[in-house]
Amino acid sequence: MPGAERLLRLYPRAWRERYGEEFLATVGQGALSLQQVMDIVSGAIDAWLSADVRRATTAVRAAPSGGEPMKLKSMMICERTKLRYTKRDSLIGAGVMIGATLLFLLLGIAAQRDGWVATGEILKSLAFPGSLTLSMPFWLMKGQPWKAQAVILGGTLALLVAAGCLASLI
Amino acid sequence: MATRNRDDLLAGLGRFSEPALYILISLAEGPKHGYAMTQDIESVSGQALGPGTLYGAIARLEARKWIEPLPAEERRRPYRLTTAGQRVLRHRLESMRAVVRVGRARLAEG
Repeated sequence: MPGAERLLRLYPRAWRERYGEEFLATVGQGALSLQQVMDIVSGAIDAWLSADVRRATTAVRAAPSGGEPMKLKSMMICERTKLRYTKRDSLIGAGVMIGATLLFLLLGIAAQRDGWVATGEILKSLAFPGSLTLSMPFWLMKGQPWKAQAVILGGTLALLVAAGCLASLI
Repeated sequence: MATRNRDDLLAGLGRFSEPALYILISLAEGPKHGYAMTQDIESVSGQALGPGTLYGAIARLEARKWIEPLPAEERRRPYRLTTAGQRVLRHRLESMRAVVRVGRARLAEG
């Protein structure tokens, strides 16, 4: 089983800076059980995805140990991790969505014409949900850690494709 | 309506609401660091909180300012319950007491 220090690397840097030391002190030096490993991995996924956890780790919550330098650091951290998308980002996201929808539809129609009926159905059914998912990094998920984006996008697309394949078998 | 809002606040933590409740109860006794919390929670509830779950709940409680960190002692950082956290805990325990009272009464009737 991997040790706690190795598993700690799964967590975001801000999380490690905030909770890393005390986390390791809590876990201790002993070997981890499978249940503990799964709990820590689950906690890491949560730390990447949860807005609450990001809020707790990006603000300087520790008991004060400095004045202006700590205030400046917390302002810089908050600024860097703040979600921001502009009207332009929304328009780009909409453009990606429309383009991806058309692409899925055209590919689906072409596949059906070539005899790939089931594949064509799947591609056409993915047109809206797939294009919405692909557009998210440009607006809704802008500013999120890339690993979180990869997990959400990859997982969602995989689920959509799996659902489409299952539907075609019924 | 204020009563219902405080219940919703704790329930709003989703799968972390129960661990969060245990942490609040543990800290009601006095400030503790993570390891002490897990030991206390296990002795009180029989539940062993994993470190991932523990710190997921701690982060959420901290974000809501229901607990606050104290200066670290070597590698361990104690936390304490804030006034807001006390109010949330008190209300939740009152709600649970009412439910327990009704449950026991019904069992006695049956």
